[in-house]
Amino acid sequence: MSGRIDRVALLAVPGLAYLAVIYALPLLMLLAKSIQTAEGISFSEYRAFFADDYNIRVLLRTLRVAALTTLLALIFAYPTAFVMSRAKGPWLTVFLVAMVLPMSLGVVVKAFAWSILFRANGFINSSLQWIGLTEKPVRMLFTETALVVGAANVFLPFMVLPIYAVVRQMDRALPEAAASLGAGPFFRFFNVTLPLTLPGVVAGSAFTFSMAISMYVIPSLIVGERQQTLSMLIARSFLYLRNEPLGSTISAVLLGIAIFVVVFSSWLARRLGARS
Amino acid sequence: MALDQAKPTSRYLEAWGIGKSFKGTRVMSDLNFRVDRGELVSLLGPSGCGKSTLLRIIAGLLEGDEGSVVLGGRNITRFPAHKRNVSVVFQNYALFPHLTVAENVAFGLRARGVAKRATGAPVAEALSLVRMSEFADRPTAALSGGQQQRVAVARALVVGPDLLLLDEPFSALDRKLRETMQVELKSLLLDRGITAIFVTHDQEEAMGVSDRIAVMNAGRIEQFADPSTLYARPATPFVMDFVGLSTRIVGTVTSRDGEVITAETPFGLLKARSAAPAGARVLLGVRPELIEVGAGENTISSTLADVMVLGAKTVLHGTAEGEDRVLCELSGIRSGFARGQEITLGWKIEDTLAYEVPA
Ligand SMILES: Nc1ncnc2c1ncn2[C@@H]1O[C@H](COP(=O)(O)OP(=O)(O)O)[C@@H](O)[C@H]1O
Ligand SMILES: [Mg+2]
Repeated sequence: MSGRIDRVALLAVPGLAYLAVIYALPLLMLLAKSIQTAEGISFSEYRAFFADDYNIRVLLRTLRVAALTTLLALIFAYPTAFVMSRAKGPWLTVFLVAMVLPMSLGVVVKAFAWSILFRANGFINSSLQWIGLTEKPVRMLFTETALVVGAANVFLPFMVLPIYAVVRQMDRALPEAAASLGAGPFFRFFNVTLPLTLPGVVAGSAFTFSMAISMYVIPSLIVGERQQTLSMLIARSFLYLRNEPLGSTISAVLLGIAIFVVVFSSWLARRLGARS
Repeated sequence: MALDQAKPTSRYLEAWGIGKSFKGTRVMSDLNFRVDRGELVSLLGPSGCGKSTLLRIIAGLLEGDEGSVVLGGRNITRFPAHKRNVSVVFQNYALFPHLTVAENVAFGLRARGVAKRATGAPVAEALSLVRMSEFADRPTAALSGGQQQRVAVARALVVGPDLLLLDEPFSALDRKLRETMQVELKSLLLDRGITAIFVTHDQEEAMGVSDRIAVMNAGRIEQFADPSTLYARPATPFVMDFVGLSTRIVGTVTSRDGEVITAETPFGLLKARSAAPAGARVLLGVRPELIEVGAGENTISSTLADVMVLGAKTVLHGTAEGEDRVLCELSGIRSGFARGQEITLGWKIEDTLAYEVPA
């Protein structure tokens, strides 16, 4: 390589500038706010945040909900991606539209739709009562389970599409080769199919988890104020409490988790990729 | 399970009455096929004739609509692929990209429940057999085509299969390497007494590697015979054309004398052994190396359209009236032939192939 500037690289300049101004700068300002206190630069806000049991509970709940959402989305997405990879012509279009269209609907609409489904006189409860499984309506709307189920549904496409991309690329002869070498369905799945599709699983999980830890609209509509998540705490700090340092601090914590997830997953994907 | 156990596990395969349709299109019906123990057999035919389909039905990777597969006296028709003990070498080798060379070879043993520690010795032996020992710990992506194929063969053999199936195993290799691999693989299989079926669309390859060849066309086996019979006595015009070159001359039977017919052709009257009645259309064929310069039992005169001195042989292309061409191969370098020259060519009646064809 000579010292010449790669002219193609120049094409990235507007994009990078945009990201710097619109994205990085405000984030840096936010971070700055979290360590600027009356006594100068200090981490006292962080200490205060982590000292409060309530905050820890919210943090743990956020992580737990995100993890369960990711897991549930994965359970539904994995087989779906395989069916999709086998679909041809019009069926493939149907699948792709079914995946992409809800994304364009917006989260608010979907979360409302879910809350209709889950509420006391909603579809699920009426069905359960009609079948006779319950006498009285079961409380579903303001529970963590409803949140996880709703969130997994909203984020499903982000889990399906990366797995679908990997499954589609997989050589169909590989499971066949495994079978002809004496590998039964279980051995085949755990030693061929799963390892080869793991990069897609990692990517999809990283997407879903990062979105699930920062979701705001879905928990607001499905569980409400009763069970706060980090994003709801942030919104409350900024909008109601007008406590910018607190809001900034929680944002920084959330950002830290997101960065960890991204870095860890790309490390994992690289490690898996290096083997294949 | 190890390779060194001199093992007469290779048994005898029968596939009968095999039929298969894909979405209503019949690609194979009532196909019968039998391989003896220790035999190397080729399925030879043009692309799309059903070679892979038959191979996959035998391997259990595809279910036939009708028919049975019996291997070593066991009816395996309803067995899933992993219970058949039939190894397959795929066209693209299908090595597992997430495993090293040694792990690939160990796969079949591990699938059979052999502990990881116990796979070391048989894997090392299989790799040395295909001269890939030094690559044991490499990822497979870094290997050349020939090396990948060696690994695929080692992986297929290490489990001690009752039958080895190879779907166009050499087609991805360049010509020189292909010839080397053919020789290597053939002696490997013969030494171990392994029963194997090769799929190929290359006539020379089939003749080189196998004891017997099944020539397939449109889902049927046209002829199943040893290479010399196939070449010298092709059962159908399709086999004649697919296995080697020949001069084709179409004519009409004018008379018969015992088993010998005389046919009127663009090259004049020609004789052949045939059961075709007088008045029937016949296709006559002669292998190029059986044609001599000078008169014979069948004699034609022809104008030389081309002369090619190829070293090991000299090829003469002759024309007569119409579009029929005659192809004559003389061994070694021959001089004294020139384009446009009038020559007389001859061959024996018994070297004339004859087929009754629709008028
Ligand atoms: N999965 C399939 N679906 C539909 N048609 C198929 C399928 N596999 C093979 N065929 C058809 O069956 C015929 C035989 O195919 P194949 O056995 O692959 O031929 P070969 O291996 O001799 O080239 C071809 O006409 C092919 O198009
Ligand atoms: Mg084929």
